[in-house]
Amino acid sequence: MSTDTPALDSSPAIASEAHGAVNYDDAIVKKFIIATLVFGVVGMLVGVILALQLAWWPANLGLEWTTFGRLRPLHTNAVIFAFTGNFIFAGIYYSTQRLLKVRMFNDVLSAIHFWGWQIIIVAAALSLPMGLTQGKEYAELIWPIDIAITLIWVVFAINFFGTIAVRRVKHLYVAIWFYMSMVLTIAVLHIVNSLALPATLTRSYPVYAGLTDALVQWWYGHNAVGFLLTTPILGLMYYFLPKSVNRPVFSYRLSIIHFWALIFLYIWAGPHHLLYSALPDWAQTLGMVFSVMLIAPSWGGMLNGLLTLRGAWDRLRTDPIVKFWVVAVSFYGMSTFEGPMMSIRAVNALSHYTDWTIGHVHSGALGWVGMSAFAMLYWLVPVVWKTRLHSESLATAHFWIATTGIVLYVVAMWSSGITQGLMWRAIDDAGQLAYPSFVDTVLELMPFYWIRLVGGTMYLGGMLVGCWNIFMTARGASASAASAPAAFAK
Amino acid sequence: MTTDTKASWHRNLFEHRSALFAVAMTVAISIGGIVEIVPMYTLAAKADTLAGVTPYTPLELAGRDIYVSEGCYNCHSQMVRPFRDETLRYGAWSRADEYQFDRPFQLGSRRIGPDVHRLGGKYPDAWHWEHMRDPRSTSPGSIMPPYPWLYEKTYDVEDIQASMKAMQTLGVPYSDQDIASAGENIQAQAAAIVANVGATGATAKGDEQVVALIAYMQRLGVDGRAALEAEAKAGGQ
Amino acid sequence: MSNDALQDQVLGHADEADGIEEYDNRLPRWWVGLFLFCVAWSPVYAVHYHFVGGRSQAGEWQQEMDAAAIRWPQPTAEQVAGLTVTPEVLTEGEAIYKTNCIACHGPTLEGGIGPSLVDDVWIHGNSREQILGVVTNGVTEKGMPPWGPILGPEKAFKVAAFVHDLGTGQP
Repeated sequence: MSTDTPALDSSPAIASEAHGAVNYDDAIVKKFIIATLVFGVVGMLVGVILALQLAWWPANLGLEWTTFGRLRPLHTNAVIFAFTGNFIFAGIYYSTQRLLKVRMFNDVLSAIHFWGWQIIIVAAALSLPMGLTQGKEYAELIWPIDIAITLIWVVFAINFFGTIAVRRVKHLYVAIWFYMSMVLTIAVLHIVNSLALPATLTRSYPVYAGLTDALVQWWYGHNAVGFLLTTPILGLMYYFLPKSVNRPVFSYRLSIIHFWALIFLYIWAGPHHLLYSALPDWAQTLGMVFSVMLIAPSWGGMLNGLLTLRGAWDRLRTDPIVKFWVVAVSFYGMSTFEGPMMSIRAVNALSHYTDWTIGHVHSGALGWVGMSAFAMLYWLVPVVWKTRLHSESLATAHFWIATTGIVLYVVAMWSSGITQGLMWRAIDDAGQLAYPSFVDTVLELMPFYWIRLVGGTMYLGGMLVGCWNIFMTARGASASAASAPAAFAK
Repeated sequence: MTTDTKASWHRNLFEHRSALFAVAMTVAISIGGIVEIVPMYTLAAKADTLAGVTPYTPLELAGRDIYVSEGCYNCHSQMVRPFRDETLRYGAWSRADEYQFDRPFQLGSRRIGPDVHRLGGKYPDAWHWEHMRDPRSTSPGSIMPPYPWLYEKTYDVEDIQASMKAMQTLGVPYSDQDIASAGENIQAQAAAIVANVGATGATAKGDEQVVALIAYMQRLGVDGRAALEAEAKAGGQ
Repeated sequence: MSNDALQDQVLGHADEADGIEEYDNRLPRWWVGLFLFCVAWSPVYAVHYHFVGGRSQAGEWQQEMDAAAIRWPQPTAEQVAGLTVTPEVLTEGEAIYKTNCIACHGPTLEGGIGPSLVDDVWIHGNSREQILGVVTNGVTEKGMPPWGPILGPEKAFKVAAFVHDLGTGQP
């Protein structure tokens, strides 16, 4: 047998037409793409405002709705559920149909999923600044919205598994495995963590108390990262990265091993958020060792991504999509090494409660999630709008602005976190606290907060360039479609 | 053209049986959570038990709801870690039993401001009154925003009673009598805070949200500290 | 563990994956080694921490406190009593005051939330020893926290000396 290069369509625009017999639903993909961009800009803009508030406290303008305490949940929820949520739904709706050679199970369910999800986001954007919250991180939304999330997730699950049930291929490709694990696990996490007894229409109390509530919450919180920000995006990587470079995936058996290891081990690691709390020592140890065991399974995904690029490295210099993928996957590898390190007791003693944590999540969110999103979008948008990308040089500009922004952000937060962590524990010659005034340790961080603001603003700026590029791409497509209606008529 | 590989077992077992595949995944993602969470209920997993931690008073409960609603947990932790520097700075490290009435928990994940778990009794009521109105008047250099609306908005007794009923259903030992007489209880506790605040010249009415918040802040860590001091005294004898 | 002849051979499943081919390359050896090392290290660490070493976070806190007590022994009453007020002590006392006390007693000791320290009223006595006692043990029923555990005896002495010096005009 020869080591032949598989015959793939070299033009992505033609690839989508390859299975011409199936009438794929790309309208729903376009809707999710637009929602991704709109809420991505909103979520990151709120992040920039928060960064400004830490550097210059009057930036809430004296308003109760814009205080850090109320806006920060809006930022995290918008980036996690609105930006990332819509981005992975866009990619899943596109790739699942192609991989299963069938249109989505039910168009009505697709529409309910899309509109229901957007209504939930708007409800979140209104309720959180009003101070309506459950007070659990990344699960702040009040109980009526939690119920709506559950219902919409069930709609999505029926639509997704329904599509699998009616598929026209026998076997499921690795991307689908990762999507399945997300649909199942997020349902379990959301329902269990949100169990609460309503006291009023807008307020409820969790059925768990104290440290049990904390453990359940961080089991949820850590695995929301695992199964919303990691596994579905790995699935998208397994589809869109080989599609973008026309290369075979490096290793099928690596896919199998890292998939099962990742989903089995991930779920244990939540207690690393509670190291040195009053959680029993044994639970803390489990959180720590399972985090360490996660390094290799996480890096399995990174390897399968990077090694799939073998033979296509020359395109790193010219193709912005490859640039975005390489940086995204590299940040994934970096974050999934940093996370286990921070789960080690001795390191966590320094890093916990400092900006090091903030830097860590942003190397994941801006580096892995954000760069993956645009790697996918710059390939997908021209395909679904059946045209060419408006400007490759703008995409390259976006890449450099965003990458510089991430580096500034993350380095500022590392410096800030280590500085403050060391100041908290500093002891003078007499054995007393060297910095007994907490404020002194905050004022020391101001230069880092300004640098972080610059980094975050650059990332947002890059994203606006991306939005403009995608808008022009779609607009150009509708213009050419209007001039040649027969070409792409449905 | 299909190449047989050692990995083809996976293809034959799972990849064309989507239901079995989904069940296997569900099992894989369930084990860790069950092993970690269930013992919190079944095992006597707690190494330290503290006597004397009692539920929040109605006014403190209202204050806690305001604390949650304003998102204080985004900048303040409630968890003193067992390090010498933290116990020097904040006081005794936090024990599990101290959180038993906390729904939701508020351990926090980032200290943009200091930990508050041992805040109760550290400063007088008037300090908190001034601090929430103008944080820099009591903590020069602070980056906390002022909270003027807490001095205009009022808490609602019926609303607090609804919270107490929910807490009672969840197992918090509030008696029906406690709930029925919440109004008087609140008045008495608020009046004491009004008097303390008034001693420095400020005028409080007693129904402002900030009064409830002060009541909650002054309760933080107090029961645990008393229990630990009693324990230490008993141990020292 | 794997057949090298299969390196970079496509599996031929592309028709079921929208044209995406897969190799079945063997796992990088360093990756397998990393995984096995972490999996082996984890139980070793857990057993060592809980059973062999008998460690716990409460125990480690106690060890840290014991070590500190040896390294920075609490000054005896005579040692604290033996401290004398010098201009350097007063300067250091002022710095300690500015960090910890101005929130309640004001930048010029004029008072605010806490009482004035420059008027003639001394609720708890105006000797240096009495002021040191208030600083160290607090007056918790009035909201004055005990600063002894936070500052330690030496800094408490210095700040009390500063307050005494400025507040009473007596050395």
